Amino acid sequence: MNRLLRALAPRRTAHAHCDIPCGVYDPAQARIEAESCYKIIQKYHDSSDELFRARCIHVKEERAELTKHHIDVMWHDYFKPEHVEKFPDLHDVCWKASKQASQVKRTVDLAEAQKLLDLIDKIDEMWRATNGPATTRMQAA
Amino acid sequence: MAGNERPGDHANAGRLTASLGNRAARGAAFAFVGACLAGVGLIAGWPLIGPQALRLRRSWDARVDVAGRSMEPALEPGDWLLVDPDAYAGGPPRVGQLVLCPDPRTPERLLIKRVGSVAPDGAVELLGDAPAESTDSRVFGTVPASDVRGRPWFRYWPLRRVGRLS
Repeated sequence: MNRLLRALAPRRTAHAHCDIPCGVYDPAQARIEAESCYKIIQKYHDSSDELFRARCIHVKEERAELTKHHIDVMWHDYFKPEHVEKFPDLHDVCWKASKQASQVKRTVDLAEAQKLLDLIDKIDEMWRATNGPATTRMQAA
Repeated sequence: MAGNERPGDHANAGRLTASLGNRAARGAAFAFVGACLAGVGLIAGWPLIGPQALRLRRSWDARVDVAGRSMEPALEPGDWLLVDPDAYAGGPPRVGQLVLCPDPRTPERLLIKRVGSVAPDGAVELLGDAPAESTDSRVFGTVPASDVRGRPWFRYWPLRRVGRLS
């Protein structure tokens, strides 16, 4: 039977895939960098060491920039037109999240960092609702 | 012995031989006529069955299996399909038809998609049935009709889903 099936099996494959990168977008990346910003801002306020505070600002700006990059990648590369149909505020949320990342880069206000986390969570919700985890995260074998 | 024989026995035996011979001859005649009819039928019917048989043969040689979920629910990963390689030799595909086409970005990779639209200049828009799972013309643009390779028209495996494709 196996031999028969092998004989009947096609020799060529027709791909009905999504691109490989389709399965690599994860808002967790943005979330991790944004959490860094939040924590660094906390540490900034907890310290009186000027050198340390200067480093905090430097690192926070770096992390905020990375957050913005990861948000943009979700926006540009992960989301597709039918996702926008499903979530009409998708562009607005991504835009606000990008802008909020810039805002966090600029300030040491913890509330701004929290706003950024909340917006990333909204992106995460849309990602989950569009089957993101199943296509992106490695599944247990 | 010989005296016991009755005159009629020879005649009966002769008739028996004759009838056996007749039957064999009749059988041969039937077979001959049958063969002639079959031959004539094949020759007469060839214009009808011939192209279909050749198409089936070519479709068998061009058969493919499906990978990925972008054509669900019409096609599932692991489906085995017959593909008519010459279906679009006479002209561009029509909207809604299944096509095979090399991926314009990596031509050695064969894609299976559905025709979304065909422009007057022959530019064919390829779309997946499940847009969220598909990379298609929305990403790589249209393809020229001359790039379209063939038409998947029959699923021969798995058995519970055997049948013509629309």
